[in-house]
Amino acid sequence: MSKAATLLLAASLFAQDARQIVEEAQRRSRADSERYEGTLEVIDARGRKSLKRWVYRRLGSHGNSKAIIRFTEPAEVRGVALLILNHPERASDQWMWTPATQRERRIALQDRSTRFFGTDFSFEDLEERDVNQYDYRLLGEETIEGAACWKIESRPRKTRASQYTHSILWIRKENYTFARIENYVREELVRRANYREVHNVQRIWTPRLIEMQDLRRNSRTILRLEKLEYNVPMKESDFTLQALRREF
Amino acid sequence: MIELRRVWKVYSNGRREVVALREVSFRIGRGETVAIVGPSGSGKSTLLNLIGGLDRPSQGEIVIEGRSLGELDDDELTRLRREKIGFVFQFFHLLPTLTCVENVALPLHLAGWDRRQAQQRARELLGLVGLSGRLDHLPDELSGGERQRVAIARALAAHPPILLADEPTGNLDSRTGGEILALLHELHERLGTTLLIVTHDAQVAASCARTLTLRDGQIVADSAAGAP
Amino acid sequence: MLLARLSWAYLKRHKLRWALTVAGVALGVAVLVAMRLANRAVLASFHRTVDGIAGRTELQVHAGDLGFPEEVLERVQAVPQVRAAAPVIEAALDTGLPGQGYLLVIGVDMTGDRSLRDYDLESGEEAIIEDPLVFLAQPDSIMVTREFAQRNGLGIGSRIPLGTAQGIRWFTVRGIMRSGGLSQAFGGNLAVMDIYALQYVLGRGRRFDRIDVALQEGVSLAEGQRALREALGPGFEVEPPAARGRHFEAILRSFSLTLNITSLFAMLVGVFIIYNSFAIAVTQRRTEIGILRALGATRGRIRALFLGEAAVAGSVGSVAGAMAGWLMARWIAGYVARLLQEVYGVVQNVQTAPAEPGLLAASAGLGIVVSLIAAWIPAANAARVDPVRALQKGKYQVLSAGETRARWWLSAGAAAAAVIFLLLGRSLVLFYTGYILAILAALLMTPTLALWLARALRPLLAWLRPVEGALAADSLIQAPRRTSATVAALMLSLAMVIGFGGVARSIYNSLIEWVNTTLNPDLFVTPNAEIANRTYVMPAEVGSEIERIPGVRQVQLVRSARIPYRGTPVLLVAAEAGKLAQTVRRRPLEGDLDDMYRRTAAGQATIVSESFARLRGLRLGDVVELPAPKGLLRLPIAGITRDYSDQQGTLLIDRSLYRQWWADDSVNVIRVYLAPGASAAEVKRQILERCARGRRLFVLGNQEVRRYIFRLADQWFSMTYNQIAVAILVAVLGIVNTLTVSITDRRRELGILQAVGGLKQQVRHTIWMEAVAIGVIGLVLGLGLGAISLYYSLEMTRRDLAGLSLDYVFPLPLAAWLAPVILGAAFAASLWPAETAVRGSLVEALEYE
Repeated sequence: MSKAATLLLAASLFAQDARQIVEEAQRRSRADSERYEGTLEVIDARGRKSLKRWVYRRLGSHGNSKAIIRFTEPAEVRGVALLILNHPERASDQWMWTPATQRERRIALQDRSTRFFGTDFSFEDLEERDVNQYDYRLLGEETIEGAACWKIESRPRKTRASQYTHSILWIRKENYTFARIENYVREELVRRANYREVHNVQRIWTPRLIEMQDLRRNSRTILRLEKLEYNVPMKESDFTLQALRREF
Repeated sequence: MIELRRVWKVYSNGRREVVALREVSFRIGRGETVAIVGPSGSGKSTLLNLIGGLDRPSQGEIVIEGRSLGELDDDELTRLRREKIGFVFQFFHLLPTLTCVENVALPLHLAGWDRRQAQQRARELLGLVGLSGRLDHLPDELSGGERQRVAIARALAAHPPILLADEPTGNLDSRTGGEILALLHELHERLGTTLLIVTHDAQVAASCARTLTLRDGQIVADSAAGAP
Repeated sequence: MLLARLSWAYLKRHKLRWALTVAGVALGVAVLVAMRLANRAVLASFHRTVDGIAGRTELQVHAGDLGFPEEVLERVQAVPQVRAAAPVIEAALDTGLPGQGYLLVIGVDMTGDRSLRDYDLESGEEAIIEDPLVFLAQPDSIMVTREFAQRNGLGIGSRIPLGTAQGIRWFTVRGIMRSGGLSQAFGGNLAVMDIYALQYVLGRGRRFDRIDVALQEGVSLAEGQRALREALGPGFEVEPPAARGRHFEAILRSFSLTLNITSLFAMLVGVFIIYNSFAIAVTQRRTEIGILRALGATRGRIRALFLGEAAVAGSVGSVAGAMAGWLMARWIAGYVARLLQEVYGVVQNVQTAPAEPGLLAASAGLGIVVSLIAAWIPAANAARVDPVRALQKGKYQVLSAGETRARWWLSAGAAAAAVIFLLLGRSLVLFYTGYILAILAALLMTPTLALWLARALRPLLAWLRPVEGALAADSLIQAPRRTSATVAALMLSLAMVIGFGGVARSIYNSLIEWVNTTLNPDLFVTPNAEIANRTYVMPAEVGSEIERIPGVRQVQLVRSARIPYRGTPVLLVAAEAGKLAQTVRRRPLEGDLDDMYRRTAAGQATIVSESFARLRGLRLGDVVELPAPKGLLRLPIAGITRDYSDQQGTLLIDRSLYRQWWADDSVNVIRVYLAPGASAAEVKRQILERCARGRRLFVLGNQEVRRYIFRLADQWFSMTYNQIAVAILVAVLGIVNTLTVSITDRRRELGILQAVGGLKQQVRHTIWMEAVAIGVIGLVLGLGLGAISLYYSLEMTRRDLAGLSLDYVFPLPLAAWLAPVILGAAFAASLWPAETAVRGSLVEALEYE
């Protein structure tokens, strides 16, 4: 092949649009199910730390999945669980279960911007993004913490109720994992998530440390994924309200 | 100066009627000194009260310096009294909480005089009656005679042309009474005031140029020549 | 001004009288201010609480006391005009902390919408919650205001005890609210919990108390209301937060009326005291006035002199009264709040009585105006003083024949009008006008009646003591105007006492009858410490458990709650009508006893209280439409009874209907009837043992409950005693004043009495007898007017206040008790004047010609 043709081919290979990049990133991280034990460390503006642990299980893929988070530590919160049902075309449904009162409660639609139980993640941040609910625009390339990344701007479509006006995604070119996401409300940078410690788990590249910074409150939360497993057999019936009420 | 035309005064108690004055008519000229005498109950004080505008006749007319009292309303009557008539009572009737000066100045205040002028006049008058040394005393610090002098001074405060005195010596011993009587006549000489004195004291009556005698509400004698 | 010097001189010599005059004004103004401020403080506190909690809520959905199932929330959220909807539960819980009283706990969904509140639990500026997850995970989590925390030395992690359906439980403070709208509510005794935790704590099941709603942009309040009402159907009230104030005001209203009457009364007393004082002053200064008139003071001048004195007294008294009233207001507000809590179960936390300068200034102004009005007649009399007679120092008084006739005509006219208005019936305006006219007629007739009574008393007094008695009577006969003011004041006060006392007695009698026939269970089991409180409920199973206890013959379950009926809260009582038919055999006012129970038990009718029916113009057979969550419940009235459970009215329906239409199985009172021979103490013990475990429960005996009810009634009627005290005060003051004048007028006569050989003691006797005679006259007239006033009071209760028809029973015991008290007071009042009478100089007295 001529040099020009090779170049052209290479160029066409690399001239992917932003949407395709994100799609690829999603495709590569797709698994039928996921399970991990997480450690949540919250460090507030004054440097005080608090630690929680949870077990995370998810069935399904981006935009169309179900997940249950159940806290295991500390003792005061053991058993509290969250059920998240993600829908591709609309915002997710969320319920919370408190064992002490044996009650589940629905979390209201308007409240996705609320912080998730004192962490710097909001409820919205915990949902998975469906690529179809956003519009993308490639901004260029940038190196984040030594990794070459695509820089993509994403704006939620009208069908997607979001607290943010737009976000900037950095996706590593090397393995299509997220390196960083910055969330904006108009001109103000509100949250920044850094994804580190990328490991290959069952052939899926996964960042095992996610640091979420809340720039308004000057606090950050570090989520560590341990004992991460993909495609563990799970049943649909494990992700219902009845399941929520069960201890496991 | 003072004229009464067929004056009647009848008191009604709701059940009974008492006739105090019965068709009284007479005339008193300027500068006269007149004594009104009669037994008790004869209506002398009533007559004085009517002339002084303190009371109104049941019938008849009273004319003072050309003005008929019957045509005046209460306020006008009061003003007339203020300007034209000085009253001296048997029981002095000084206000016990005011000093001599204040007592004398009282009618002037009522007439609207300036404070300082009223005080000054009061002092003058007290001097006139011989009490300059008692200006700031209270009435109960004075003897009966002194009190009556103050009352006389007060009666003269507004330069009234007429001075009415109801038993002015009735409450005083004979010596003091004589002094007061002398004072009254002296003032009459000096100021030309018309003097009417109600009295049952013959000596007092004798000191006056004219005597009107009342009995049962009627004038039975008038020492002035050619009576009414 | 020289004349002012005269006023000053008189004041200095009679400091006590001036003090009394000023005190009279001050009393009237103080009571007026205190009552008004207290009323407003209670209302304002309520509004503050409502507004503070409401935040940005535009509309509230509620269904009275009973709440509604959780599913209603979704229905509300589905309404397109609704932007945000948040469920709320409110409860006033007893803190176990000393001196802290109740804590108003609000349950909100802390994972729910925050846009309705003025506070932000997340922001960190509004509140400190260390760990929101722990807060939610632990149902004992509570967030208190910073004021409450500081007051009780609490911090994050502190524990506090609260009364719950399961008894005293301990809660952990896991959040502190900073200052802000919410923390102003309920006087700072406010706390926030997660709604589901609070549900659990209160044993409410899956129910909410209300839903706070914010509307979409551009949707008007009216539109939002309409849309919600359509979506929810009957059984729900959709109102702006401020409307709750109206309900509360309805409850407060009858109380306000009593407060208003008391303040009016105090004002009247003040008026009489001032009038009296000035009347005496005019009398005593007659000579002075005569002199001034002789010297050329016009009538207007004299009048102005006295009115000026009145204005000064009024100003001083008003200012003093306004301040005193402000200080009293706080205490009265607390008293009112406590009473409301006990009688209505409405808990308030009244902190401060706000000093409202506008109100204080207006009251002070009113005090001055009242003083001028009160002094008007004496001042006019002063102006009318005939200088001739004044200077004569003789007897003065006559009641001219013409004047008497005029009074008679006026009085007759007023009385006739009063009767006509009464017969004309319906209108409240006519009724009250008639009342006032009747009193006016009595006042106009007082001098003449007093005269007649004095003449009638003369033979009796002369028989007791020939000289002193006759003179005492003559003193009254010769000078009716002198005594008539005092007699009138006494008459009015006593009439008020009889009116009030008579109504109280009637209600008392009715209460006794009601308690005996209706409240006849042997034991009452309830989860609320105070039987009027309905905060806590219990499940119906408790009843089943109690039935199994040996010795228990019958158990009746009752659920009662306030529900809104056409804008005012009424009491709905859901009871087992069939069982009631066996135990409460009380003839209704209208309807047939067996028939009404039968139909009600079948769920086909309702039995209502007289107050309910009368206040709304309903009759037997009329259909009542009750809004319920399941729809509109229509029931005809099968019986009207006399019931005192609630002032706004009570409706009785069968429990089965309630369970069906309100989907609620809870109860708040269980009535227990014992088998013959069973021991109440033993059954009580068993109940507590078997049922009180893990549950808040109180077992009250029949006598306990009766005592409680009568204690409440007593508190309500404690007003009567206040008025008696005022009546005595009026009696004493009036008589002292009158006697002083009388003695002045009778100087010569008393002097002669002594001169011809009368002993000082005999002079005293005549004064004493005069005083007691005045007391007797006042008493007789007072009881007479009281009989009329009682009739009006009963009518007022029937037509306006409570819709209760009561029997006319003249309170003879009260009257019998009043007589010695008043006469004793009259006698006591005469002691000092009698002393002054004998102390005067004999010669001076005889000088009077």
